[in-house]
Amino acid sequence: MTAAYVGIDLGTTNSACAVFDGQTVTLVRNGQGAPLTPSVVRIDARGLVTVGARARRFLDSDAANTRAEFKRLMGTGQALDFPAAKLQRKPEELSAEVLKSLRADVADQLGFQPKRAVISVPALFELPQAAATSEAARLAGFTQVELIQEPVASALAAGWSAAESRGHWLVYDLGGGTFDVSLLETQDGLLRVVGHDGDNFLGGRDFDWVIVDHVLAELGRDGHVLSRAEPRHAAAVRKLKQAAEEAKLELGRAEQAGIVVPALDVDGKTFDVDVVLSRTMLEGLCRPLIDRSLAVCQRLLSRHHITPGQLERVVLVGGPTVMPVVRREVKSSLEAPLAEGLDPMTLVAEGASIYAATSGLDARPKTIAPVLGRRLWLQYPAMSSDLTPHVVGRLLADGQGPVPATLRLERGDDLWQSPEVAIDGEGGFVLTVELGPRRPNVFRLRARAADGSDVVVDPATITIVQGLTVSDPPLSRSVGVALANDHVRVYFERGAPLPARRTFVHHTVESVAQGSSDSLLRIPIVQGELEAAHLCRVVGAIELGGDRIVASLPAGSPVELTIEIDRGGRLAARALVPSSGQVFEQVATLLVPEASVDVLAANLELLRRRLGELRTDAFRRQQKASIDRLSGLERQLEEAAADTQAARGGDEDAAQKARRTLLEVDALLEEVEADKHWPELEAQARERLAFAASCVGDRGSPAEQRLLGEATLAVERARAARDALDLERQLRVVSQLSNAAYYRDPAAWEWAFERAASDVGAATDLVKAETLVREGRALMARKDDAGLKRVVEELWRLLPADPALRRRGHDSGVR
Amino acid sequence: MADGRQKLAENPFYILGIDVGAARVAIEREGQKLLGMLELGLSQARTFSTPLGIFSRDADQVRWAMSELRDPARRLGHELWASLPAAPLAEVGEAVPADAAGWPEARRALGWKAR
Repeated sequence: MTAAYVGIDLGTTNSACAVFDGQTVTLVRNGQGAPLTPSVVRIDARGLVTVGARARRFLDSDAANTRAEFKRLMGTGQALDFPAAKLQRKPEELSAEVLKSLRADVADQLGFQPKRAVISVPALFELPQAAATSEAARLAGFTQVELIQEPVASALAAGWSAAESRGHWLVYDLGGGTFDVSLLETQDGLLRVVGHDGDNFLGGRDFDWVIVDHVLAELGRDGHVLSRAEPRHAAAVRKLKQAAEEAKLELGRAEQAGIVVPALDVDGKTFDVDVVLSRTMLEGLCRPLIDRSLAVCQRLLSRHHITPGQLERVVLVGGPTVMPVVRREVKSSLEAPLAEGLDPMTLVAEGASIYAATSGLDARPKTIAPVLGRRLWLQYPAMSSDLTPHVVGRLLADGQGPVPATLRLERGDDLWQSPEVAIDGEGGFVLTVELGPRRPNVFRLRARAADGSDVVVDPATITIVQGLTVSDPPLSRSVGVALANDHVRVYFERGAPLPARRTFVHHTVESVAQGSSDSLLRIPIVQGELEAAHLCRVVGAIELGGDRIVASLPAGSPVELTIEIDRGGRLAARALVPSSGQVFEQVATLLVPEASVDVLAANLELLRRRLGELRTDAFRRQQKASIDRLSGLERQLEEAAADTQAARGGDEDAAQKARRTLLEVDALLEEVEADKHWPELEAQARERLAFAASCVGDRGSPAEQRLLGEATLAVERARAARDALDLERQLRVVSQLSNAAYYRDPAAWEWAFERAASDVGAATDLVKAETLVREGRALMARKDDAGLKRVVEELWRLLPADPALRRRGHDSGVR
Repeated sequence: MADGRQKLAENPFYILGIDVGAARVAIEREGQKLLGMLELGLSQARTFSTPLGIFSRDADQVRWAMSELRDPARRLGHELWASLPAAPLAEVGEAVPADAAGWPEARRALGWKAR
């Protein structure tokens, strides 16, 4: 084998592994000969760990010590009990067991334990979930791992096996626990992710639950009271769910199936369950879930101004997509052909293995061979869509033999060789190579000394695979820092290419006293698309505690924050306090927040009230669009209520689902509220454009004037589409342009100074603020505009943050 | 740095050292080459020229520039800035002359009627 690139689909229900050798993808079969390994772990009384199909057999008979679907809890820090062994295991530790099992399968098939691999994660995984996946890989013994978003992996696998194609594709990925949809584009062999959307808590499992709920209702009619919210009914409900899943699979072929559970024991009474389900009934039950997924697809397409008919094809991924109703509805709603001949269950693992080649992650153990000849450090793509990529290199100082002066490459098939290029003074060189399409291309490196004699170089050969590749993966949700005014300072916009790193300077809103353990400054890192920080999810925080700082930090002190996200979506942050040179690197809470049932119930009640008020208002104003949206939200709240009930019954997964649904409903209510204020927003748009036209017209550069013209068109589009969020976004661009021009007016800083000076009584450091005001007045008299600008900016930093806004902004201590 | 100057100094076409009309495949090829050269620490890749002078280049900038030019809508905006003729470049940024003619027709062009 020339190379072995390992890709793993670490799924909610099943996991799979594939190996790519540069030309062919092979599925790795487990000990039972199957390509799919159930993501189920059992720990018995002796502490013996069983994984896969053997563990799944105990899901029913030994449910307390057998765990499934723990992927949905990744990043929550929620430990799961194994009472027989008196052990607790975190979700990432259980995932590690599944990964260990897959590693062993690779070892059986290829003869070595892979050290490097690519593991797939849902596109909408939050940063803590991605971090937990990396941790699972580390625990499983992988030394180097990259994460790939599942839809990108699927598209890569579908694109690798497809004939040359260009245009837009949609990957509809309905897994066991999550739904992802991705819009991709291929051009010149390069796959680009245009955008993502999805629902982190919609999956095949929900299809099973709607069937279970239907059966529970039927049983209720017969006088058998069974509840998902009741912990003592958990075993009976589990049996029903298994029967529901079997019936669902059977209805893929048959018109009718029975949900049969003999001798179901409920509250000491035993009865037989025999409920007949027809395919039509199943389709009726599942349609709301399918519609929900299709609404997500439509939202993604419309965000990118693509109509369904414009799609080249739709790739279906995940077990539930084999259901005829799903295939039919997706095809007709998206008006695009489905990609045929692909296995929806293993496509992700196949794509992950191809991606491992793109990243050069050869899983074979590295052998340390003695260096022969002069050593070269080379940079080239292990996989390239370009037929003529560059190979860049540098001659290293070590190695044996004469120093090479020139270099050329010869392709293994002897049909092509590069011109001879000179190695420059730094030892650098750039060669362009010609690749044979869709196969691995081996090149021999030939070097010559200045006297024309041959020089042996190390490495002597390189391999580049030609085929479809993927551009840098995009960030699925914007990441930023919550500010004390409940706004977000966006560091990376959704879609930013990964890896990414950015640094901004913030200023503290209060002082932190050195040595005081009560004094703490928090910098919350959030993920989300909305401007209000409280509507975004906290995914981490850096804390500057009084007991850790080396010198007291007055209010208004600068803090330089750097956030870094790698290709797999792993987050790292670093805060530098320039005044002391101290660096804080520990991200304090890299966890999905816990979802306590009481908090969920209280939030649910609050949102119900808000929704009721908005609905009354919408009826009064006769706003049909708002009424329709609120009805949709009402359904979501009902789901959240059912999940909160299930959470009371001990279903932690349902608690997480409820938490997310409530957060989403909160954000959507905010949108409806924004919609209610649409007339005010439109008036604001008119005012801001008029102001911008005046400022940019009078003092803007020609380029700024042209950009304002473009921004005005975008504002008009958002107004026509009645898209409040987009309108706000476009108005921000307009404001940036007008501000740049406005502050070129020397009088602008004088006005800003007067406004800031009028608030000086509330400053956090009154003495300093008053000194600044005196300095400002003197600068104004001298017409020192640059000095006045500095004074105004310093004054702004001394004005206090509104405590209520700060609380909403996740207690942020910076502005 | 003022917005206009920044748009020029951080223009992806200048960062990658390619023409405004470059095909997508050429952009990827050049980007990959620069990333390789930066990884190897070759001095030739460490700077790039713009009409405002020479700036230093790093791998983050190159990756960002490649991604900006992959998106057709965003590429258009950068093309606009990169194709500005040499003369108006002096006007860009902080130093807009006080007696600049401005854009007297702005309000009308943006849809407002004369008062």
